Amino acid sequence: MEQTENLSVQTTKVQNPRLRMLKTMLERLWQNKLAVFGGVVTFLLIFTALFATWLAPHDPTEQNYSAVLQAPSSEYWFGTDNLGRDIFSRVIYGAQVSLQAGLISVGIALIIGVPIGLISGYYRGFIDEYIIMRMTDAMLSIPALVLALALAAVLGAGLTNAMIAIGLVLTPNFVRLIRGEVLAHREKEYVEAGKASGISDFSIILKHILPNTIAPIMVQATLAIAAAIIVEASLSYLGLGTQPPNPSWGSMLATGQGYLDSAPWIALFPGALIFITVISINLFGDGIRDMLDPKMK
Amino acid sequence: MDDRMYSKKLLTTLLLTLLIVLAACGGGGQDSESAGGEDEAEDLTNNDAEDTLVVGLDDDPPLLDPHLSTAQVESQIFKANYETLINVDENLDPIPGLAKDWDVSEDGLTYTFYLQEGVTFHDGADFNAEAVKYNFERILDEDLGSPNASDLRLIEEMSVEDEYTFVVELEETFAPFLSGLSHRAGQIVSPKAAEDEEIDLSNEPVGTGPFQFVDRTAQSHLEFERFDDYWGESPDYKYLEYHAFSNEDTRITNLVSGDLDIVNRIAHKDIEQLEENPEINMSEEDGIGFQGLMLNTDREPFDNQKVRQAMNYAVDRDAITEVVFHNGAEPAVSPFAPSSWANNPDLEVPDREVEKAQELLEESGVEDLSFTLTVSPSPAEQQLSEMLKSMLDDVGFEVEIEQVEFGAILDRMYEGDYDVARLGWSGRVDPDGNAYSWFHTDETYNFTGSSNEQLDELLVDARTTVDQNERQEMYRQAAEILWDEAPYIFLYHENDYKPMKDNVQGFNHVPDGLIRPADLTLE
Amino acid sequence: MLSFLLRRAGLMIVILFFVSIIVFSLVNVLPGDPALMILGQEATDESLEALREDMGLNDPLVMQYFAWVGDLLQGDFGQSFRDNTEVSSLLAEKIPITLQLTVMSFAIAVLIAIPAGVISATRKGTLWDSSATLFALSGVSLPPFWLGILLIFIFAVTLGWFPPSGYVPITENVAQSLWYMLLPAVALGVRLSAELTRMLRSSLLEVLGSDYIRTGYAKGLLERAVVYGHALRNSILPVITVSALQFAAFLGGTVITEEIFNIPGLGQLLVTSIQTRDFPVLQGAVMFMALAVILINFLTDVLYSILDPRIKLTGGSQ
Repeated sequence: MEQTENLSVQTTKVQNPRLRMLKTMLERLWQNKLAVFGGVVTFLLIFTALFATWLAPHDPTEQNYSAVLQAPSSEYWFGTDNLGRDIFSRVIYGAQVSLQAGLISVGIALIIGVPIGLISGYYRGFIDEYIIMRMTDAMLSIPALVLALALAAVLGAGLTNAMIAIGLVLTPNFVRLIRGEVLAHREKEYVEAGKASGISDFSIILKHILPNTIAPIMVQATLAIAAAIIVEASLSYLGLGTQPPNPSWGSMLATGQGYLDSAPWIALFPGALIFITVISINLFGDGIRDMLDPKMK
Repeated sequence: MDDRMYSKKLLTTLLLTLLIVLAACGGGGQDSESAGGEDEAEDLTNNDAEDTLVVGLDDDPPLLDPHLSTAQVESQIFKANYETLINVDENLDPIPGLAKDWDVSEDGLTYTFYLQEGVTFHDGADFNAEAVKYNFERILDEDLGSPNASDLRLIEEMSVEDEYTFVVELEETFAPFLSGLSHRAGQIVSPKAAEDEEIDLSNEPVGTGPFQFVDRTAQSHLEFERFDDYWGESPDYKYLEYHAFSNEDTRITNLVSGDLDIVNRIAHKDIEQLEENPEINMSEEDGIGFQGLMLNTDREPFDNQKVRQAMNYAVDRDAITEVVFHNGAEPAVSPFAPSSWANNPDLEVPDREVEKAQELLEESGVEDLSFTLTVSPSPAEQQLSEMLKSMLDDVGFEVEIEQVEFGAILDRMYEGDYDVARLGWSGRVDPDGNAYSWFHTDETYNFTGSSNEQLDELLVDARTTVDQNERQEMYRQAAEILWDEAPYIFLYHENDYKPMKDNVQGFNHVPDGLIRPADLTLE
Repeated sequence: MLSFLLRRAGLMIVILFFVSIIVFSLVNVLPGDPALMILGQEATDESLEALREDMGLNDPLVMQYFAWVGDLLQGDFGQSFRDNTEVSSLLAEKIPITLQLTVMSFAIAVLIAIPAGVISATRKGTLWDSSATLFALSGVSLPPFWLGILLIFIFAVTLGWFPPSGYVPITENVAQSLWYMLLPAVALGVRLSAELTRMLRSSLLEVLGSDYIRTGYAKGLLERAVVYGHALRNSILPVITVSALQFAAFLGGTVITEEIFNIPGLGQLLVTSIQTRDFPVLQGAVMFMALAVILINFLTDVLYSILDPRIKLTGGSQ
C-alpha cells in the first residue's frame, strides 16, 4: 500500500504515551480497508480451523463408497471426492493443517533465526561475515521450494517434517533481517551508553536491541506465514507434506487434478481456499507494516 | 479522503473477483462432458506419420541391456529389437521364438534347442548356437552381475551340437526353465556388439528383432526402424517410437489427441472414459500378477498369526476393485490369478467380515494394533491406502499411512524396516515365478520374514516336478497354506488394459502385458 | 570498478562453496541405498555390494566430497544412477526447455507489468489504478500451481483451446512449442508480473514526483513522451533488481509448474531425481539452479553499477 505520502508519523519519539501510540496505529490500520478485510478473513479462517469439529457437517475422513465423485449438492456443498468424502468438511479441516503449517514453520524459523541474527549482528567478526552471512547467501540462492523439497525428502514425508523443512528454509530470511536491524542499532547511543555502564552484552541484546527489532520481525513473520502455507501446499501436492487421509489443501489439489474433467470440484475448492488464505494474510501483513511504520518498506 | 475512496474501490473489485472464482468453481461441473483435450496436436514425431507407430510407456526404461534389466517397462522395448529363444502365446503356452523347436528329456534334465536358420543380428553378425552359448555365458558371468542369472543358474553344461543345435544339461529338474527363456534370460544380444567396447548395450541395444535401434533421447523417447534383413515377416510400418509419460493423465491425453497409437498402462479411473471414446479400442486381459499387503512377521503385531488372519477378513476386496479399479481388477486370495492353471478354485474370496476379524483380534490377545502402512505416492495407491486405513481402523487397527517412493520402499524391504508395505508383483508366466522367490523361507522377495516348512517343501517340489497336474496340486495346497499363514494379504489381480487408436489392428493380448509391435498394423 | 568486480566474483565463489556443502550434505543424508535404486526390485546381494564398491559409496564422506567437487570443477557432474546418462548431458538437454519457459514467462510478465504499472502510476487513485493494484496483490498471492490448475481447467478442459499438458520441442515445431508452453508461462508469468507491477508503480510514482519530470512537464512535453521516455527509463533499474531477486523464487515456481504441466525441464528432472533418489542428478540440478541464481544476481549488480554510476561500488551483500 503506497499511502505513505499523506501520512506523517513520528517514529522516534519515545516519550509518547504508549496508549496514544497504539491508538494511532489502530486508527491507521482501520483506515486501510484492505488490511481490515484481510484481517477479518484471516480471523475467520483461524476461527474455522479452531472450530472445525463443530463447523464441518461431515467427518472429513469418512468414506462413502456409494457417493463417490458427487457434484456439489445440498447434502455435499462442495461435492465429494474419489472416496465419497465430503469436500466441504475436508476443506474446513484443511484450514487447520495449512494454518498450523504456516505458524509452526515460521515459529521454527524465528527460534533459530532470531538468536543467530542477534548474535551475528552484535558481535560481527569473521564468523558473522564469512560463515553465517555466506551460508544464508548460499541458502537463499537455492530456490526455497527446491531446498524444502530436498530437506523434506531427507527427513521423510509427513506434516511435521515438512514444517521443519519449511522452517529451516525460511530461517536465513530472518537471520538477515535481524542482523540488519542489529547493525542499525548497535551503534546507537543507548547501546553505547549501556556498554559504558557495564551492562552485559546479553542484557543489551535482550533489553535494548531485541525490542527494537520486534516490529520488522512481526511484519516479516506474517508475510512468511503466507509463503509457508504455499510451500506446504506444494510439498503436499508432491506427496511430501501432509499424509493421507488427513485433509491438506495441497494433496486435495493433487488428487483433484486427475479428475479435472469429470469432477473439477475436488481441485477447485481447496485451490480457491489457498488463494483466499494467502491473499488475506498478505493484505493483513501489508497493513501491519503500514501501521507500524508507514515509511518502512 | 482520496485514499479511502481508493480502498473502497479496491475492496469492491476484490469481492467481485472472489465471487467470480467461486462461481467458476460451482458451475464447473455441468459441462464436464465436453471435456477431454480435443486439441488437434500434430504428431510428436519427426517421422512420416503414415508409416510410424508410437507407443506410450508409463516410465522411461533405464537399462536397454536385457541381461541387466530389472524394470518391467524395459521388457516392452525388448519386444521391438530383441527376440527370445522361446515365446509365449495368448494362453501363455510356449511357442517357437529364436528356437524353432526343442526337446526335453524324460528326466527333465536335458534340453535340446533347434535354432532358426538364416537369422542375422542388426550389426550383421550371424545368429547360431555359438551366439546362444555366448549369451548364456554372459548372463552367468559374475563380472556382469546379471540379476537374471538365477533363471540359468542350474545349468551344469552347455554344448554346441552343430551350427543350429544347442544342448543344455541341468543339475536338477527345474520346471520353470523354459518359461525363463521366454523372459530376460532368453533374450539374445549380438555377441559382436557385446564384445565391442565402443558399444554400450545399455544405451544402444543390438539384437535380431523386427526393429533396429536408431536413437534414444534419455528420459524422453526411443526411436526404432524396421530391420530390412529380418528373418520373419516384415512389419507393416517403417518407424517405431516409444515415448515415456510417467504422468498417467498426460499419457491418456496424448492417446486421445492422437499423438500416441497405443499405450501400455492406464489408470483404472480412466477405463470408462476410454471405453466410451469411439476413436479408441480397448483391449482387456486378465493379468498374471498379484497385489496386496506385505506384512513384516518379525514385528509386532504381525508376528501373531491371528492378527494377520484378522486382516484377511477386515478388508473389503469387492469395494476396492470397484472404487479404485472401476471393476478392472479381480479380488485376490492367492498369488495365482484366476486364469492361471495353478489357481485353487476352492479358495473363495471371502466377504468382509468385521465381527470375525474382531474376534480373531480378541483371540490374539494383542493390545497394540497400531502400524505404519507404506505405499508409493501414485494417486491410485493413495486412494487404495486410504480405503484400507478406513477398513482396518474399523475393526480395531490403528493405521498410519506413509507415502514413500517405490525405490525407497524397496530399500526398506531389504532392510526389513517396515510394518506393512503395499508391494505386489507383475507376475511370471510360470507359477513358480509368483511363488517361490516370494514365499519360500529366506528367498529374494520374502521380505515378510515368514517361514513354513510345509510350504517350503511344496514350493521346492513344485519347481522340480515336470508333470503339470502334480504341480497344480502342489500349488493349490501352497495357496491354502498361504491363506492360513497370511504373511501377505492378497487383495487383487490387476487386469491389463491396452487402449489403442482404432486404426491400429492385429493386437494380440498376451497376459504378460507386453506389446509385440511387429504384430500391429496401421490402417 | 575492477576491484568491485573482483570482490563480487570472490564472494560468488565463497557462496558457491557453501552451496556445494549444502547440496553434498543434503544428498548424503538422504535415506536410500543408491545401489538398490539402480538395480531395482530384482537385485541380488552380490550385485548390490559390487555396485556400491564401484560407485565409491563405501569411501569416507570427506573423500566423497572432494572427489565430487573435483569432478564438478572439471565440468563432470557424474552419471545418473538411473541409466548412466551423463548428468551434464541431461542438464544440457533440460535447461533449454526451462529456459524457454523462463523467457516466455518473463515476456508475459513484462507485457502485463509495463502497461499495468504505468497506468496505475499515471492514473493514481482511479479505478484503473485499483484494478491494477488488485491484480498485483492477487498475483503475488496466487500460488503458481493453483493458477496452473485453474488455467488447465478453464482453457484446456472446459474450453479445449489448449492442450492440458505436455511439451513439443521448439526445434520440431515452433508454433506448437509456443502453444503448448503458453499456459504454464502464464501461470508463472502472472505472479512475476504482479511483483513487477507493484515495483514499477511505486518506482514510477517516485520518479514522476521528481524535479526533472516536473521540468519536462513545464517544457510542455506531451505526457506520454514524459512517462515512456524519461520516467520509465529511470524506474526500470529497481524493476530489474526486483526481477533478479525474484529469480530464485521464480525457479522454484518452475519446478512445480513443470510438474503440473508435465514439461520435461529442469524442474521435473529435479522432482524425479528426488523421487528416485538419483543423487548425481539431484546434486547437478540444484547446483545448476543455485549457480544460475548467483550469476543472475552478480550480473544485475554489475549492470546496476554500469547503468547507475551513483551506486557506490563497495560490494558486499545485496
